[in-house]
Amino acid sequence: MDAGLLQQMLIGALLGLSVSLPLRCGQLSLATPGFFAIGGTVAALLSTRIPAFAGTGATSPLPALLLEMGLGGLLAGLLAWAIGGTVLRLRGIYLAIATIALVEILRVITLNLPFTGGALGIFGIPQPFATASGYAGFTLVLLALVCWLCARLEQLRLGRAMAAIRDDELAAACVGIDTAAVKLNAFVLSALLAGVTGALAAHFLNSWNAKVGSFDASITTLAFVVFGGSRTWLGPVIGGLVLTALPELLRPVGDLRLIVFGLVILLGPVLFPQGLITPQALHGLGHGLLGFGQQLRGYGHQLLERASGPRRP
Amino acid sequence: MSTAPLLEVAGLSCRFGGLVALHEVSLTVREGEIFGLIGPNGAGKTTLFNVISALTPPSSGRVLWRGQAIPHSRPDQLSRLGLARTFQNLRLFDSLSVRDNVLVGLHRFAASPLAAGLLGSATVRRRQRQLEQRALELLALVGLAEEAQLPAASLPYGERRRLEIARALATEPRLLLLDEPAAGMNPAEKNDLCGLIRTIRDHFDLTVMIIEHHVPLMMRLCDRLAVLNFGERIALGSPAAVRHDPRVIEAYLGSAR
Repeated sequence: MDAGLLQQMLIGALLGLSVSLPLRCGQLSLATPGFFAIGGTVAALLSTRIPAFAGTGATSPLPALLLEMGLGGLLAGLLAWAIGGTVLRLRGIYLAIATIALVEILRVITLNLPFTGGALGIFGIPQPFATASGYAGFTLVLLALVCWLCARLEQLRLGRAMAAIRDDELAAACVGIDTAAVKLNAFVLSALLAGVTGALAAHFLNSWNAKVGSFDASITTLAFVVFGGSRTWLGPVIGGLVLTALPELLRPVGDLRLIVFGLVILLGPVLFPQGLITPQALHGLGHGLLGFGQQLRGYGHQLLERASGPRRP
Repeated sequence: MSTAPLLEVAGLSCRFGGLVALHEVSLTVREGEIFGLIGPNGAGKTTLFNVISALTPPSSGRVLWRGQAIPHSRPDQLSRLGLARTFQNLRLFDSLSVRDNVLVGLHRFAASPLAAGLLGSATVRRRQRQLEQRALELLALVGLAEEAQLPAASLPYGERRRLEIARALATEPRLLLLDEPAAGMNPAEKNDLCGLIRTIRDHFDLTVMIIEHHVPLMMRLCDRLAVLNFGERIALGSPAAVRHDPRVIEAYLGSAR
């Protein structure tokens, strides 16, 4: 597979995880592309304006990339924390509308700031990796780390509180969960992840402009989660990987590809209302593998017995 | 040692538009008693529970906790003070397992720094095992130990009621509000539930406030009873006194004339 496409798919998976975090506690936030844009803008500005970040050799230094990712995530997280307390008072579709507005506000600001390059954006962002495979390898490590953290989160107090709020917010409050604080935590974590991903994506894309954080992106990233399922960390990852790859893989079909892509997005939720990956499906898969393992072991025992010959008293 | 009652409801009124759900209701609940709340449908029993647990703001009047007013309280703050409740129409976390429902109830005792939790430090893991152990103990107490790993949504009705009680107990309450815990149970199950409520009161040194329609059960179970009718408290006292109160008989059976 083309490493460039793989890199895009991995970024899709990271964004899917970002959208899924607020959804884990029942909050339909579409703000991920806005925070993604902030992270990218931070990285683009730092690495094109400050020589220390750009480096001197053929590739920009890796520590600079890590620092940009940290700063991009931090700025996105801080903004989420500052506005989250107010925005998260809204519920359901109203929260979705408010977060769409946030993405639009950020887009228009980026478009009009004197130092973000207007509609053309920022060009010639230095490359920390010489090849697309280098990017893909680095992003794969990042995705694995984030997946591990998300899997851990499911076992933790915060993760359980998030699931409880999604099921029944009022009952969750009555067993002592500060629901506003938990929702804010999920929102900030989501923004942080989107910001970090944005910083990485800006380098990979080489240029960065306001169009990155658009309403379209809000819907696309939401589709990752709806398609993959929001109940486990694996769902958004699969959704992000598959739905990013699909338009490219469908190129041989020609003009039909957009129709096929649309059909997949349409049929996904119809056939799998909870998304492709559900806890039940994972559970079933786990049992299947266990059964297969036991079968293998039984077969092994049989072989051993046959080899040692029939036992005699 | 303060002599203030655990819970005092003073001149509490609650109006929804033109509907008066509660009118000047006053009562006190003493530490350690099982306090029953009975009355015909629509008498305002659940509304009183909702006001006490800060889900519904009162129109006037006060709720005092150990003699102290609790202004601007949220349900989660009251939970930390020691108030827990169950719901008339069951509010379990259906996508979680039976055990995890109780673990959510242990939320307050699971605090750890997020970073330490994510990395799974030894202390965090030990604490987690303790909490899981505690959850299983609570499930054993209500007779659901075998079902710990099942999804909460898969439990039959009576067991869902008991799971909700276990979840409420996990928050280590001082006062437990039970809203029709025996609804939909058969007589044998109701009897078992009666025993369970007494057991948990003695075991946890709890105060229990209970709404239930089954009057004979309430007469046996409760130390004191309050009777509501059309939002007003029409009687308060021992089961024997309440049983012979003419206003109570009138509310339940209609007047003789």
